[in-house]
Amino acid sequence: MKFTLIKKLSQDKSMRPILTGLLLFTLLYILSDILVKYVNFGVFPDAINVTLFGDEEQYIDPLSTSAFLEFWHVEIFFIMMILLTLSAVFVRVSKDDTSKTILLSALMICALFSLISLVLAFFVAKIFVLIYSILFFIWHAIAVYMILYSLGKLYYDKSI
Amino acid sequence: MTKAYKYAIVYFLLFSLLLVISGVMLFEHKIGFSIQGVSEYYLGSEEKFIVAKSSAGVLKIVLPHIFAFALFSMVLLHFLIFTKHRDTAHSKALIYLLFSSAALEIFSPFMIIFGAEFFVFIKIASFVLFESLVIYIAWLLLNSIIKD
Repeated sequence: MKFTLIKKLSQDKSMRPILTGLLLFTLLYILSDILVKYVNFGVFPDAINVTLFGDEEQYIDPLSTSAFLEFWHVEIFFIMMILLTLSAVFVRVSKDDTSKTILLSALMICALFSLISLVLAFFVAKIFVLIYSILFFIWHAIAVYMILYSLGKLYYDKSI
Repeated sequence: MTKAYKYAIVYFLLFSLLLVISGVMLFEHKIGFSIQGVSEYYLGSEEKFIVAKSSAGVLKIVLPHIFAFALFSMVLLHFLIFTKHRDTAHSKALIYLLFSSAALEIFSPFMIIFGAEFFVFIKIASFVLFESLVIYIAWLLLNSIIKD
């Protein structure tokens, strides 16, 4: 997190490409995450319901509790690390303290509640699948916006 | 530290809490917090049709955890540097305890399958200690963010 201490990121010849690389890879991760989930787990409520609870007509078994908990545990770890890194870059390159705090909070709260909705969907009620799906798309969209905004700031804002 | 960084850390701590909860649920569901549960999970049980774990099987589970525990512990502990707990005996004790408990938690299954059954107890104790320390450090950080 050395970049948080550099006074002029836009003039730093090493740190700018490093952060660009980090942001581009984070963007790739976020987009790949949507694709991989679309194929393997489902991103829309109907597909997620089939993955979690199975479908007798299609001969698909429900996800076991053990497999679900493993999936959830790994998801939490990856999301928390990715979002912490992204938010550190975003906060560093942004100026407006209130709007960046609101955006950061929206990202984190949506991601946090998407994970909580997922476990509630599995153990409590199927309705939470819909909430998970909506929050999943919202936090991914905010993350993509934050990445593109940070890249723009790195290259077009000389004051940072 | 700017207000936005403080928010980012608070959200990270909430994720950490969720990670602890998921870890405890997973441990309880797959292994169980009893001596018998841990013993049967690693050494197998004919009565319950549980196959004993092989060293290769344990290594497969351990491998991603070595990196994940190290990264998570480092990130969580390094936030202490920005608080009044920096360079205190208290924080040093927390650093050594967190990494030691993580190491014991990760590697005790090998000792269990190689015959040192005492490590069944170590496995449970180190898991409980690690998760408790994470919650305690998160509470220290949250307290510092709110008060400082």
